[in-house]
Amino acid sequence: MRYFLTSLRAVFMKDIVTELRARQVLPTMVVLGMLIVWVLRIACETAAGSTAIIGPVAFWIAFLFAGLLAQERSFATEEQNDCMDGLLLAPIDAGTIYLAKLLVNIVMLCIFEIIIVPVVIIAFGLRIGGHWPSLIGVLLLGNIAISSVGTLFSAIVQLCRTRGSLLSILVLVVLAPVMVPATFALLLKFGAIPAELAGTGALAFVGTFKTAVGYMVVFDAVFVTASWLLFGFAIKE
Amino acid sequence: MINLKSISKAFEHRSVLKNVNLAVAAGESVFVCGINGVGKSTLLRIAAGLLAPDAGAVEICGRDMAKDPEKAKPRLGLISHKSMVYTDLTVLENLMFFGRLYGLADPRRRAEQMLDDLGLGAYRFDRAAILSRGMMQRLAIARALIHKPAVLLADEPFTGLDSKASAHLAAVLEGFGDTDHAVLMTTHDAAVGVRCCRRVIVLHQGGIVFDAPTEGIDAIAFSTDYVAYSGGAS
Amino acid sequence: MRRMLIVFTFILLTAALWLGLTKGSIEGPPANPDSPVRNIIYAHVPSSICSLLCFGVLFVAAIGVLSTGRQGWDQLAAATAEVGLVFATVLNLTGMIWSRAEWNTWWTASPRLISAAILWFLYVVLIILRSSLPGSTQRRARVCAVFAIIAFLDVPMVIISARFLPDIHRASFDFTSPWQYAAFFLSMIATVMLAGVLIALRTDLIRVNTLLEQEEY
Repeated sequence: MRYFLTSLRAVFMKDIVTELRARQVLPTMVVLGMLIVWVLRIACETAAGSTAIIGPVAFWIAFLFAGLLAQERSFATEEQNDCMDGLLLAPIDAGTIYLAKLLVNIVMLCIFEIIIVPVVIIAFGLRIGGHWPSLIGVLLLGNIAISSVGTLFSAIVQLCRTRGSLLSILVLVVLAPVMVPATFALLLKFGAIPAELAGTGALAFVGTFKTAVGYMVVFDAVFVTASWLLFGFAIKE
Repeated sequence: MINLKSISKAFEHRSVLKNVNLAVAAGESVFVCGINGVGKSTLLRIAAGLLAPDAGAVEICGRDMAKDPEKAKPRLGLISHKSMVYTDLTVLENLMFFGRLYGLADPRRRAEQMLDDLGLGAYRFDRAAILSRGMMQRLAIARALIHKPAVLLADEPFTGLDSKASAHLAAVLEGFGDTDHAVLMTTHDAAVGVRCCRRVIVLHQGGIVFDAPTEGIDAIAFSTDYVAYSGGAS
Repeated sequence: MRRMLIVFTFILLTAALWLGLTKGSIEGPPANPDSPVRNIIYAHVPSSICSLLCFGVLFVAAIGVLSTGRQGWDQLAAATAEVGLVFATVLNLTGMIWSRAEWNTWWTASPRLISAAILWFLYVVLIILRSSLPGSTQRRARVCAVFAIIAFLDVPMVIISARFLPDIHRASFDFTSPWQYAAFFLSMIATVMLAGVLIALRTDLIRVNTLLEQEEY
């Protein structure tokens, strides 16, 4: 247990220090996120009143694509000088490497979100009122979902020539389902869907805010556990 | 110390190692000799547990690599073609990182000591990216020895080293033989290999075709004979 | 034995087709009662079952690859992904034709339509992944198995998540005559058998191909 924590911390700190020093990905993530928000904001001009709907959607589009950039980086550093071999030579468990890399990706997305969330709120004129805690909760759950399979898949594609594009289709297809309740939850919180309609039969919306959050919690638990268990198979030569 | 039992390995359909058996006892240093592509690096990577053999088992200090990797891996160090260090970390940070991965009690102290031993002390706060090839190789050696492994696997460890560093590495390798350690190494320079090690084996067509102590073997003559032999055989 | 099974499957398929188009034929949608379009259900529902079943087979094969490392499991997985893609394609195409005839639109964001589309994407991505992995065949087999397991876990997630959207798809179709029931169940059995036969044949073909490649060395 003590070794688990030491090694987890060592790999985590190593990646964070590397990223802070080289500053390779975070600036790119932020610029990409802002461009996505900006393009979507312009698209809203074509229809009046659509900002309330496109705004919450913009969050997830920006997170998904910025997340891909973070994940692609997470094993690119290990490929240089065959550092992956260095990790595999040590008695560290593959699952620990996964968890450390997962934490790094989550932290990087969190930093990204701190910058981009206010941008989205201002650009689309969204009103949150007193819903801050639930908003942060939903964003964090989505963040974990995006990073969970993304971290596993970035190890899978590390030897491929088409690394980035392959990673994007693997991640997007598996994450497609979680984006539905994630968007649904945000639409509810920002008032784009009237709260009294949720969970009622008229529009046949099955979900409420609670069920959406519940779904995301289950999704995160299933895919973090599965990726943690499967990670060893993905990195072995 | 190193026990390779009937190792076989094929890449795609090309068979590289066929039923190779090799036992290296404590205090022994073995020089693996063979032409390019014969499977020297593959043999070392299998011994290091980086590559799973198609058949056979690897034991390091009596621990099975496949079944008990947590016990086998800490006893083993590998110097390979690539340095396995992070270019964005400083020299000291690199060593401390690997020290932590091996669960050392005081990684900083051990790392400092290794740097002084290998003459890298002046570079400790420099990023590894700026190191020259020879300095990088010294760092790779320090990385491999940070956890005081009982077994050292060295794949072309002399690459890029100047004569001073080579002499130091040769001393390390020979020193390994004195105690309860074992060494398995390859190098393209047969004369150096014979001088550094106590036993030499020759790999050819997937098997060990020659196995003898280096005592009494003349390094230069072996090297010449070997070149002629391998040239004729291939 | 296998040849018998193939012949039997094709007899069943022909019988299902004949029955579905004659005695079991379903009346068209209210706007156009003469249209035979609703007969598509005999291909649509069995395809949906088969494309789900293929994920189950893929999962078993993936567990086989990861636990034994035998090449045979990987060949089964490769074959199943391809056959699954065929059925998922049929499922989506027949669904689109049905949608056009019933709801006057080729596609709409309704739970089952989304689920079917994502199933199709999962198969496509699995096949692309297999074709773009370098390195040893063992590593490719393992990596594809890892993705197949994640995809298998994703299937229930896909089906549940789509429930957050309004639904126009009917939960079940009411047949009116026993002939229609007969045609439906016959086509169901025949299609599942077809899936089995296709997987077996494709696995064999992949195995023979691998053996031929080995011969060349």
